[in-house]
Amino acid sequence: MGDLAVLLGVRFRASLNRMWRAGPGRRKRIIVMGVLGAAFLFGLFLVSCRVLRYFQSVELIGDLLAHQLLGMILLTFFSLLLFSHVISALSNLYLSRDLEFCHATPVSLEGLFLSRFSLTLADSSWMPLIFGIPVFLAYGFVYRPPLIFYWSLVHLNVAMAMIAGGLGVLITMVLVYVFPARRTRDIVMLMVLFMVGVLYVLFRMLRPERMVDPDAFFTIAHYVSSLRGPEWEFLPTHWATEVLWSQLTGGSGGRRALYTALSWTTAGVMVVINVWAAGALYFEGFSKSQEAKRKRLGGRARPGRVQKGLGRLLGRDMAACMVKELRCFLRDNTQWTQLLLLAALVVVYVFNFEALPLDKSPIRLDFLLNELAFLNLALAGFVLSAVSARFVFPSVSSEGRAYWIVRSSPMGLSRFVLGKYLTFLAPMMVLGEILTLLTDWLLEVSPFMMALSGVTMLFMVCGIVALGIGMGAMYPKFDHENIAQVATGFGGVMFMIVSALFIGLVIVLEAGPVYLLFRAQAGGIRLGPGLRLFIAASLAAVVLVNGAAVYYPLKKGIGALRNHE
Amino acid sequence: MIELIDLTKIYRGIRAVDGLNLRVGEGRVFGFLGPNGAGKTTTIRMMAGVLKPTSGRILIAGKDLARDPSAVKRCVGFIPDRPFVYEKLTGLEFLHFVGSLYGLADGSETERRIGRLMETFELTNWGDELVESYSHGMKQRLVMCSALLHEPRVLIVDEPMVGLDPKAARLVKNLFRGQAGKGVTVFMSTHSLEVAEEVCDEIAIIRSGKVIAQGDAASLRAQAGVDGSLERVFFTLTEEGRAVHG
Repeated sequence: MGDLAVLLGVRFRASLNRMWRAGPGRRKRIIVMGVLGAAFLFGLFLVSCRVLRYFQSVELIGDLLAHQLLGMILLTFFSLLLFSHVISALSNLYLSRDLEFCHATPVSLEGLFLSRFSLTLADSSWMPLIFGIPVFLAYGFVYRPPLIFYWSLVHLNVAMAMIAGGLGVLITMVLVYVFPARRTRDIVMLMVLFMVGVLYVLFRMLRPERMVDPDAFFTIAHYVSSLRGPEWEFLPTHWATEVLWSQLTGGSGGRRALYTALSWTTAGVMVVINVWAAGALYFEGFSKSQEAKRKRLGGRARPGRVQKGLGRLLGRDMAACMVKELRCFLRDNTQWTQLLLLAALVVVYVFNFEALPLDKSPIRLDFLLNELAFLNLALAGFVLSAVSARFVFPSVSSEGRAYWIVRSSPMGLSRFVLGKYLTFLAPMMVLGEILTLLTDWLLEVSPFMMALSGVTMLFMVCGIVALGIGMGAMYPKFDHENIAQVATGFGGVMFMIVSALFIGLVIVLEAGPVYLLFRAQAGGIRLGPGLRLFIAASLAAVVLVNGAAVYYPLKKGIGALRNHE
Repeated sequence: MIELIDLTKIYRGIRAVDGLNLRVGEGRVFGFLGPNGAGKTTTIRMMAGVLKPTSGRILIAGKDLARDPSAVKRCVGFIPDRPFVYEKLTGLEFLHFVGSLYGLADGSETERRIGRLMETFELTNWGDELVESYSHGMKQRLVMCSALLHEPRVLIVDEPMVGLDPKAARLVKNLFRGQAGKGVTVFMSTHSLEVAEEVCDEIAIIRSGKVIAQGDAASLRAQAGVDGSLERVFFTLTEEGRAVHG
């Protein structure tokens, strides 16, 4: 235990130092982030309250829906926790730079493992739990349970995080042990496949479609009983849901004690199993991960046809940078494997549009479809923003400590930034158009709406990518430990906010003209010159906003890099 | 070939480099010595165009670095103290990439230069390996290859011997003398007084961002008023030696 206290204490001390010794600029960033975060959480609380109040107003099934929603939220959190534990266990237990030093000290293996386990637990759990707070508080606000509900909320969430953490760390240890040397490609690949599998199973367990399609059941009673139907009883989230729900509704506490005991004994067993497994697997796995790897690529080092073609078009320096970017990206397992997750995200996104029970809607179908297509533009924009936050925003920082090569070369910084921009523009354009046009095609919207969506997305992608590259250059972090962390810093959050505002502005500017055009089309009315002028002015404003979103961030980013030290 | 005029760098109120004035002629090997934190690396990073001076000018090959950075950088080869390179490129890919940045044509001449440098620095068998599998010394040698690839007129080197084995260190010393023989100006910072004495035509000693002595080894001895090793001269001039030598 002494080792554990020392190892955790030093991390705690480092965090405190980071906080107290932060310069005024950093302190300002912390305050801005804190205010933004609090505003977001408060908004989430209000929305959750509204949803729960609405459920309460629905007779017969309102409480059942709220119960189901609680189960879904906990299940989603559990899967997120499992997901993030697997990712951070790999880095905390095997790849951190200070591990070599720690293993060389006389600290016991058990102490070292437990300290890393605790850090993984803390690193992976704080974000899902913080996002859960407003939702759970909304349940408390709407249902007015006794105080014990809040205590249960805290300790059951901790137990759930420990179970997810135990599973995640165990899976990571086994994979690193089984695969020889530093075959992170295979390990990460397997982890991604495993996680996609888990997500799919959890999603199928939830059967969310039954909540929106009462017609699928013969009678109301059938529908109600389907909502009442139990989830898998061995899931830790089921135990937490039942305890919390019985406290929220003042139900009998028949199985409350059992479920609480089950949660904590499982959490305890997970820790014991992990410590026991670590004794057998951890050091050997760590040792294997340190073995030097030699991999002869043998590919052509000379510029290929693509690079030469790009070089003729954009200049050899910029083409070399673009090809280098692509090579480094595809060879970095922590980067390219996330593309698999992205592909899964696209499939889920498109599938959701396929599965919408639109034919049961009381609104006129053609109008609804076009409205949905318009809404889809905003949603696809937000998906692109999230993807850009992970891949485009960290692109400048991805030069890392090798940035001196570009900085000391004769290539100007404007060409460097432009090269980054062009590298990401094409793939993001393809992704944006897939998200928009494929869903429009599935929705069978009018050709006009499809063309409008396609062109708007084209413009929006130019803006979003420029915001990502430009703001990434304004807030670079060349000394990062892990490139994934770059997106979660102050600059990444600012990028997400600015990008959301940009998408919102484009949608608001287009909403008026689109509504007028559809109304005219539906009513067979000819638009007067005033309205035509309004439409032209709105669309011109869209073009201007997009132009500004490309020009200013890139200019600011280049300026910031010039002054960066 | 190199001229620093009133070069100053202030970090958060601290003068890391304080009104530095230096001139280094063509074909000279210039050693830049000083204790830790004296301002050597800051000066070198400013000369390489990686760091912006607070004030003052840097002229290389007659061109002002602030006014025409691309032209200056085209005739400079920079070797930093810590050889961070793109770990996911192979050695050969990295050299081709650097060649493109410096405007070298894709062709047999570039291939020939890369082949020759890889051979000189004993990296030929490692060309197709990812840089992440290189040792520190190999990375340092790869960076040296990249710095020499465009045949610069000025070489700026920060701590060239760190991480090199004795054979590689000998190779580097010969290389610097050989380059100087071809008219290349070598500006290097080092902690190694033995290297400075062996390789450099001229040495400047810097302390608290200011040059406190400059000249060849004999002239430095005269300035310090001591005989004997350069180490003794160094300690006397930087006043660090009082505690050590009594």
